Amino acid sequence: MEFIARAAALLGAGICMGIGALGPGVGEGFVAGKACEGIARSPENASLITRTMLVGQAVSESTGIYSLVIALLLIFST
Amino acid sequence: MAEKRIATRKLLLVLLVLEIMLVLVSGGLNRALQIGFENGRFYLRNVEKTYDLQKKITEDFQPDRYLQEEDELPEIYGSERLYNFFREVFGEKNALSSFQLLRMLFIVNCILISISLLVRRHLFKKPSKPQVLFELLYKFFEDFVKDTLGEERVNFTPYVVTLFIFIWTCNMIGIVPIPGFIEPTRNLNVPLGLGIMAVSLVHILGIRIKGFWKWFKGFFEPLPFLAPLNMVGELSKAVSISFRLFGNILGGAIIMLVVSSLVKFVVLPIGLNLFFGIFVGTIQSFVFTMLALTYIGAEITE
Repeated sequence: MEFIARAAALLGAGICMGIGALGPGVGEGFVAGKACEGIARSPENASLITRTMLVGQAVSESTGIYSLVIALLLIFST
Repeated sequence: MAEKRIATRKLLLVLLVLEIMLVLVSGGLNRALQIGFENGRFYLRNVEKTYDLQKKITEDFQPDRYLQEEDELPEIYGSERLYNFFREVFGEKNALSSFQLLRMLFIVNCILISISLLVRRHLFKKPSKPQVLFELLYKFFEDFVKDTLGEERVNFTPYVVTLFIFIWTCNMIGIVPIPGFIEPTRNLNVPLGLGIMAVSLVHILGIRIKGFWKWFKGFFEPLPFLAPLNMVGELSKAVSISFRLFGNILGGAIIMLVVSSLVKFVVLPIGLNLFFGIFVGTIQSFVFTMLALTYIGAEITE
């Protein structure tokens, strides 16, 4: 029974990371695209836009980081 | 002068190519080539070497579990006497991780204190080089604080700048190539402590500036029965801000270890350190600082 639980935990970690990476990937790409549009429209605000974009990307990345933490918990604590 | 430099570069390139070839030759066979001096004699020998990635990960990231499974201590970097003291205070099981964490925090604090003392000695009317650097950093964050909290609350700048410099130094110390130098932010306790500090600062400021009743009424808005949700939201602020930093640094460290062991620690770890160490570390410390500032701004401005 022990190894079935271990295998299930590893499988769960893989699925968790795979699905959890979808959302942040789409979100960060969207933010970067919008920032490109903004910079193209007003190049004088480029530094401000880049800064806001990086903060926004890091915030939207947090769900991916949660899934990473869950995956690490599944791998290392079962 | 220029010729000398070009010659040095050529020598470095030749050494690099030689190292890559040696690793490619010896890497696939679980053998390693040892070059060195012994008893005043140059030697070149081929030794059997096994490198267990799982064991290395356990040793680096879960020293407590390593103790349970292996019954032998992983390598302790630093003072043995201090480690024995930790064993008496924290017990056998927790001694190792807490010793590593507190040692790295102590080193970070020593670096910060000595830098601040050095810069303070060089403060002049006509700015010296380190003074310009730190004044730029301070001005950068002062503008943020002015934008977020308003002109009259510029006195929050020292807290914000200290937070940034501390987290940045914590993230950067991982790329120093000395054995046993781990990022303190890799341990959950450090980001969680910083996050709890930031959130409790937000609420203490809310009580002091808005008054207790107005602060308390803030939980019952917009509808009274949403109070539990608001309270959970306040707690989740601390959790999300700290888990973001922790997850990024720990994930980066694990990816660095796994990928560098796949390529037998040749060349690629430098690029990985550039991305996961410097870039992600700087961005994450900046994000932590900005989020703490935003939480303060959302609480104390109307």
